[in-house]
Amino acid sequence: MKVRVYVTILVVAASLFVAAQNYGDSSARSNILALEYAWDQAQERGDIKALSAIFDNALVFVDYDGKILTKTEYLARVKSDSSHLQQIVTESMSVQVFGNTAIVVGTYRAKGVEDGKPYLRRRRFVDTWMLMGEHWVCVAAEATPIQH
Amino acid sequence: MWKLLSVFLLLLLAARFDAQDTAQPEGEQARILTLENAWNQSLQQKDVSALRMLLAPDLIYVDYDGTLMNKAEYLASVQSLALHPVRIVNESMNIHSYGMVAVVTGVCRESGVKNGKPYALLERFTDTWVRRGDSWVAVASQSTLTPH
Repeated sequence: MKVRVYVTILVVAASLFVAAQNYGDSSARSNILALEYAWDQAQERGDIKALSAIFDNALVFVDYDGKILTKTEYLARVKSDSSHLQQIVTESMSVQVFGNTAIVVGTYRAKGVEDGKPYLRRRRFVDTWMLMGEHWVCVAAEATPIQH
Repeated sequence: MWKLLSVFLLLLLAARFDAQDTAQPEGEQARILTLENAWNQSLQQKDVSALRMLLAPDLIYVDYDGTLMNKAEYLASVQSLALHPVRIVNESMNIHSYGMVAVVTGVCRESGVKNGKPYALLERFTDTWVRRGDSWVAVASQSTLTPH
């Protein structure tokens, strides 16, 4: 009888643990997706302050042309590009959570004007997010042009 | 045969770093950089068994042309009969450590023969490694072409 009680307690505890973990991952996914959309909006508006809060100070950003940028360099680029970039639309995104780390993979279309000519670019990105304290921050991001 | 042996020795060396320097970030960083080089050697040898050990089951891989692959798709692409990488060398590798997570950026020079024609690529990459138990495994990898 005692064994059955212990087994029941163990099963219930394990179920609660799994449920809590799933809820945690689900909550993390929602938070991170919200931050990804906030990133798009802040970039469209050239809102450097909002962007600065999204990124870790040690951000490593690899742009679609293969150039590597620090956080300061990336923010400076956004500031100078803001008048040219008209719209960023994220087409798809999926999040994988590994404890206090999350990987987001997705595609987006960027529309704007460069050197007086309109452009429409489609890229695939992978962003790495870390939970630092109570906040998720982006520590690495790379965008690759989709060639097909 | 000696090439396969060298890949095995690199993996063994990485394991030794783990056994000796688990408390030292430098040891962990050296271990991850060794794994990066082992990855390249395994690619050259088309050594899928070695690659399987380096990559997480839930790997996210974005190739330089924007193609998204999971682990099985990536391993299949490595085995392609049309692709014969001759030389794969990483340069300017930089590692950002976050405890159980590490982000490596660098430039990869790859040359070989594809579909009977010689090719040469220069790619900027971002790899995210996560420690699982005693091992480091790559959970995400992305490459973007950069001008020669």
